[in-house]
Amino acid sequence: MIEVDILTSSTGSYPRICTHTESQQHRQACASLESGVISDAEFGRIEDEVTKEVIKEQVDAGLDFITDGLVRWQDPISHLSRRLNGCEINGLLRFFDSNFYFRQPIIKDRISRRESILKREFIFAKSVSPKPVKAVVTGPYTLAKLSINRRDIDLKMIVEEFTEVIAKEIAELVRAGAELVQIDEPAILKNTGDFPILKEAIEELDAEKGRAKLALYTYFGDAVPLYEQFLELSVDALGFDFTYSPKLEEEIIRSGCSLDICLGLVDGRNTKIDEKEKVIKRLKRMLPALKGEHVYLSPSCGLGEYLPREIAYTKLQNIVAIAQEARELI
Amino acid sequence: MREIPKHLSFDLPVLPTTTVGSFPKPPYLLEARRKFLDKQMGNEELHALEQRATRDWVSQQEELGLDVLVDGEMYRGDMTTYFANNLDGFEISGLVRSYGNRYYRKPIIIDEVRWRGPITVDWWKFSQGLTSRPVKAVVTGPYTMMDWSFNEYYPRRREACLKLAEAVRQEVKALSKAGAKIIQVDEPAISARPEELKEFAIEAMKIVTKGVDAYFINHICYGAFEFIYPEMLDLPVANFDLEMTNSELDLVELFHKYRFTKDLSFGVVDVHSHKVDDIADIERRARQALEVLKPDQLWIDPDCGLKTRTREETLDKLKNMVEVVSNVRAKLEK
Repeated sequence: MIEVDILTSSTGSYPRICTHTESQQHRQACASLESGVISDAEFGRIEDEVTKEVIKEQVDAGLDFITDGLVRWQDPISHLSRRLNGCEINGLLRFFDSNFYFRQPIIKDRISRRESILKREFIFAKSVSPKPVKAVVTGPYTLAKLSINRRDIDLKMIVEEFTEVIAKEIAELVRAGAELVQIDEPAILKNTGDFPILKEAIEELDAEKGRAKLALYTYFGDAVPLYEQFLELSVDALGFDFTYSPKLEEEIIRSGCSLDICLGLVDGRNTKIDEKEKVIKRLKRMLPALKGEHVYLSPSCGLGEYLPREIAYTKLQNIVAIAQEARELI
Repeated sequence: MREIPKHLSFDLPVLPTTTVGSFPKPPYLLEARRKFLDKQMGNEELHALEQRATRDWVSQQEELGLDVLVDGEMYRGDMTTYFANNLDGFEISGLVRSYGNRYYRKPIIIDEVRWRGPITVDWWKFSQGLTSRPVKAVVTGPYTMMDWSFNEYYPRRREACLKLAEAVRQEVKALSKAGAKIIQVDEPAISARPEELKEFAIEAMKIVTKGVDAYFINHICYGAFEFIYPEMLDLPVANFDLEMTNSELDLVELFHKYRFTKDLSFGVVDVHSHKVDDIADIERRARQALEVLKPDQLWIDPDCGLKTRTREETLDKLKNMVEVVSNVRAKLEK
């Protein structure tokens, strides 16, 4: 008897503009801000509006858990680092193997927080969403690994400093009502030897979660080599990108999963609409091995930088349809 | 220049100056392109304006004193989408974000990729006809075309890339036949998945260049070079055009470890900053380049295409670059 509950969720970012020119207010506002035509306050108001728009779209698609689409994030790295003491923002660098580029921070001094970063964004999203909002935060290991370290200390110490900052962010998010916090740590997949550093950082973050659940997400790499170690982490859920891991399905069937799990079975980086039957078949094969309370079906990664908005919406609708059919089958 | 075959016969001074390919489009052309998309302007009228803008940039480059010119890409939008539009097997998707507030229409491979005829040859001929200095032809490479397209057709990335290499080869052959002696193949994506360099990216570039009589350049930018160096020296080109300013000259350190054995077009101007690079900064970058390279290995240019800058920023940045090169040349002659 399978007793697991199948839910659907976003994985993070969502496209902020549509392809037709009438729905590109964010793009126009960015240009106006840059040329000084509008103020920061006016731009913030437009970001609020666009956040509402992308939340509505995720709700309309039928998702159980949504995000604020990370509409205010320039990129997953500099959004946090540019607001921290000790970091200076440098040139563009490719984000993993994608055609999306982030501003790389240079760490020049002790990292510390000078203001609250994510809390306000979360509170706004929560106030306009009829569905639970998942908070998203880039993890301390990935923040450290994708920065240039100009100090005479090793990576582990840089991760520890970022961990202090992220722990404070998580504590604030939880106090603001976040029930589920997604921590993105894609950088660990290509640097498996650093796993002990990640593990220590996650333990620190776990201490701040209160009643909320922490979900560790990885993507853009093969999770199989670290799978068993992921199961030992002090988190409540694990999220995986199946598009880079041809053997992950077998690994999960073999090792099982005692935690909640987010299955990124729908390709967040290809316009091709995933075949429902194939996804359901894979889901059905894994279900007996999934012993957590919830299974989340989701895209393999955030969609904001990788798909046109119209396709992103179709992908979410497809996820909802797949989950519906899977529930009926069970 | 060591690697330029004699029979190609183009004469260049030491530290030749060039640019990566694109220049900002003038407002009248941006307006025309919008009208064309809204079907308020015909192809001929747009084409005439593209020619006018190209003429202007060719003469600007001559005035600046650049040694190897480009056509400025007044007729191109995105570097991948432009070629996808002109090859069989593609359709174009909606807007996808690439960084900050930049978006592009990402192509989708939906069928067998085929070259259906010359794409850039007439533009190369047109711009070369306007100047006695060599005009560099610029095409987007097969790995980048593959990596920056959605692939709904080929079962694997390798097959898509090698098919695209055949198509790019046809274009490169047509350019060479028309008289282009310097051909730049843009491969900004080539460091995206380092393992694929040996698996098929080098093979793809061999398909593009084999037996084609030209001085080939690979332009590569905004990637993690440390993962593909020194292996990338196996790419069958004479010159690498690399973004050095944006990456804070990290590569110079790598070149200390492993000698750079080809010619290098060294990016000394940041194309993503509105600030005009100071003479002193450019000079420092050029000096650092000369620490690890011989003068006859070195070309000087900006990090990348300048299309996102204003005309004024572009001209000021290039003026400073040319001034620095002329100072450095004078010192080298002493």
